[in-house]
Amino acid sequence: MSRLIVNDDSEFSRKYRYALIFVVSIFLILVGRLVQLQIVYGNQYRVLSKNNFLQKRTEEAPRGLILDANGKILARNRVAYNVFVIPQFFKKKAYDFLVNLLELSQTEIEYIKQKIMLAEGRKRTFSLLALRDIPKEWALILESNKDSLPGLEIVPQEKRFYPQSMLASHIIGFMGEISAEDKQNFPEMNYRDQDWRGKSGTEFQFESNLRGKRGYRWRVLDARGRAQHDKDAARWLPDPWKKDPVPGNNIYLTIDSDYQNIVEHAMSRYISGAAVMVEVKTGRILAYSSKPAFDPNELSGKLTPSRANELYSSPLHPMLDKVLQGTYFPGSTYKIIPAVAAMEEKLIDFEEFHLCKGWYEYGRNSSFACSHAHGLMNLETAIISSCNVFFFMLSERVGMDRMARYARLFGFGSPTGIHFNFEKSGFIPTKQWYAQKFQEGFRIGHTLNSAIGQGNVKVTVLQLAMAYAAIANHGTLYEPQLIERITTWDGNPVKDFKVKVKRKLGFKPETWDFLIKSLAGVVDDPSGTAYKARTPGLKVAGKTGTAQVRGMKKDGSDTRESKWRFQDHAWFAGFAPYDDPEIVVVVLVEHGGFAAKAAVPLTMKIFEGYFNSKAIKKGRNK
Amino acid sequence: MFEPEGRFYLRVDWTLLILLVSIMGLGLLNLHSASSNLNASMFTQQVYWIFLGVSTFLITATIDYRVYNRVAYFIYILGILSLLMVLIIGKVTNGSRRWLNIGPIGIQPSELMKIAVILALAHHIDASPPKTDEGRTLQELIPPAALVGFPFLLILIQPDLGTGLILLLIFFSIMFLLKLRIRSLVTLMSSIIVLAPLIWTFVLQSYQKKRILVFLDPSTDPTGEGWHIRQSIFAIGSGKFFGKGYMRGTQSQYNFLPAQWSDFPFSVWSEEWGFLGSFVLLGLYTILILWAIRLALNTRDRFASVICIGVGAMFFWHTIINVGMVMGLLPIVGVTLPLFSHGGSSMLTFMIGAGLLMSVSARRQYY
Repeated sequence: MSRLIVNDDSEFSRKYRYALIFVVSIFLILVGRLVQLQIVYGNQYRVLSKNNFLQKRTEEAPRGLILDANGKILARNRVAYNVFVIPQFFKKKAYDFLVNLLELSQTEIEYIKQKIMLAEGRKRTFSLLALRDIPKEWALILESNKDSLPGLEIVPQEKRFYPQSMLASHIIGFMGEISAEDKQNFPEMNYRDQDWRGKSGTEFQFESNLRGKRGYRWRVLDARGRAQHDKDAARWLPDPWKKDPVPGNNIYLTIDSDYQNIVEHAMSRYISGAAVMVEVKTGRILAYSSKPAFDPNELSGKLTPSRANELYSSPLHPMLDKVLQGTYFPGSTYKIIPAVAAMEEKLIDFEEFHLCKGWYEYGRNSSFACSHAHGLMNLETAIISSCNVFFFMLSERVGMDRMARYARLFGFGSPTGIHFNFEKSGFIPTKQWYAQKFQEGFRIGHTLNSAIGQGNVKVTVLQLAMAYAAIANHGTLYEPQLIERITTWDGNPVKDFKVKVKRKLGFKPETWDFLIKSLAGVVDDPSGTAYKARTPGLKVAGKTGTAQVRGMKKDGSDTRESKWRFQDHAWFAGFAPYDDPEIVVVVLVEHGGFAAKAAVPLTMKIFEGYFNSKAIKKGRNK
Repeated sequence: MFEPEGRFYLRVDWTLLILLVSIMGLGLLNLHSASSNLNASMFTQQVYWIFLGVSTFLITATIDYRVYNRVAYFIYILGILSLLMVLIIGKVTNGSRRWLNIGPIGIQPSELMKIAVILALAHHIDASPPKTDEGRTLQELIPPAALVGFPFLLILIQPDLGTGLILLLIFFSIMFLLKLRIRSLVTLMSSIIVLAPLIWTFVLQSYQKKRILVFLDPSTDPTGEGWHIRQSIFAIGSGKFFGKGYMRGTQSQYNFLPAQWSDFPFSVWSEEWGFLGSFVLLGLYTILILWAIRLALNTRDRFASVICIGVGAMFFWHTIINVGMVMGLLPIVGVTLPLFSHGGSSMLTFMIGAGLLMSVSARRQYY
């Protein structure tokens, strides 16, 4: 090797040292930078580079099913194609693509743009929901153009679906996007923005059961947002790299779709009303209908503001659960209360007759009308032909407060205990209440009005059903039951709901026997109010009711709509077979007019349907 | 062979050879990793380029360097002509006219012009020694400045700021090592300071200004240029001491690095081989450059000295600017990493340069 000998003649000799020093020091600067990046901050940069390609994707848990007592599915999930964008990878020219391919509206494009613009920092690597539930054709178009749409993903996710559409919609309820308050009020549910939750019915009441636990999955994505699945990619995945979502629990209702269908079919002639079918010996609700109903698919889908407004402000109140949330005058169906009170308090003899002249006089110059002059009436015939005069007389004997006490024993004026759809308590007035409420104080007239289920008495359809069930079963007031059991998604029991007795009504057996006999007479006796609409062979016992619509005076207009609006509500509350009662059915036809014409035939159809269907079921099971 | 002053010991400079082969080998290895996920044909292409480069190297090294002294201006004029041709019939890519297509292969005359300029400067300096003992005056610097200035302007028109910048840096490197009068040096320095803002206003294109601004504050452009710098820094930093392993760099394999085979091969290397590999690679370049400076001192011939300084400076500035850029120390300029980046013109230019060093080294005098 040659020695390095500096030639004095060289023009460069004097400065070569500087060059040497310069080159070496630049080299050291670069090495210094390497030390800084790779050694001092190496760990941080390792994390940053991982953040580049590692993505944690949330896996939403499938929501639990809602099924009827037979295991028929009332609410399930279907595949919906949702479009996600990852801002980090999203290219601006993709907007044109979206506009051309899908003909997206300007608002939808603006929404996506906002999403991408607002995403900052770490959020730029997240998958953000851009379009929900796009049509399948769109999904196919997007999927086939995937390569020119980096940062855009079509993810099949689950969406709530109600295969029976409007059937039992008020029980099933519907879903909606969470509000800011929901997120605050239920921290244990771990809601995230844009999550959905049950907004009413079972979906709302059993949200914590139906909602599963979300899982996650880490993925390796390349710079264009394409997932990498090879072994080399796998080594970057954190441990554990995934957590499988746990599907929500399944809810089995006591509702039987067969009976539900019968009830809804019977109700279909009327646009507005409610009906409920309850098992007499358990308090289990078999069918439950409120009209008009809504389509939960529509409410849980892309509900336009104008359509929402239509639903919520309709005079027919489709969003109101008329079985639990509507309170009504019970009309003559309430006459069982003064009857029971009088019998139990020994204020009436079964053979005591009174004359109905068509009106009842009390106090000075006051009179209350009856439907017509019934002639001589005893308690039984008064119930059968629904004579107001007889009950006016009876209520004067029983008195306001005693009547109220018996009403309360039957469950009126307080919640049934179903804990569903924010049930209303209804109202049972007392003397004290009138004294406080009205300047002129309590009057006998108030008592008379209460006796025939008018004035200030308000009940819910379900309360009436539970009370009639208590008559039918000789004095057991059940808590109504809507949920049969809850299981995990794979069928393991979580909770079985037991039959719950709310109260035993320890009345005399003769009282029950008499009541049932009289109520049977309403249908079977030629003078009974339901006689004309009866179905021969069906052993139905029950009571009609025609509730006056209060506070609605004719405003002079004579349109069909206003005529309808000021018609009375028609009731029928009954059970069958009266010799061994199985079910109680209560029907309310809003503005149905005279009970015998609207509510009774409808109820008969329901009973008929029930027994036919039951016979078929028995045959099938054999 | 043309040998005016007696015989040389013709011998192979093994140090130089080993350095060159090592860098090229590592470069090829790295390209295989960098291109595997995108375009595997790049690798084959590069093998052809290396084959062509080695042939050129052998031819260049075999010819006695004093032959180049005679044909220096001829080569220089050829270079200028090809630059003019680029401006007339060149192919436009990414908004600039840099390429000349000769049959199936495209070539960038601006790359090869660096060699032509080095040869022309060497020839001029060899032919005109300083007039006084004090050193060269400013006036004496006008002809060499013109030799660089003309092709520099032609390249700026393309525009190719990176190559133009390298040309200037080679010129200043040679000038710095010449015997200059102190006064000339001071005037030269101050004129650069005065010229800088003028260049900023009149020469730089808006995208180039943007690059410099983004370099000064990468957060101003989180998706564009700034994004490139950040991703490159992530790649290097995340390599840590031992690297992520060959073919296992996530930044490169998952395409987070832009143009990783030509502008960012160092980031790929650094990510996969860590501090250890990066230190070795930088070390190889540094030894090569120091070796060129040492060669410059060991030759009596002023022409040979300027060649060594020029080629050394070319290696030096390319390496510094490229590595400095990918490490976020310098703004992004399209300057290749010698013998490491993918690309034919760059490979050919550096192999000719290396051939010149070998030609000088094989024929130096020993005392």
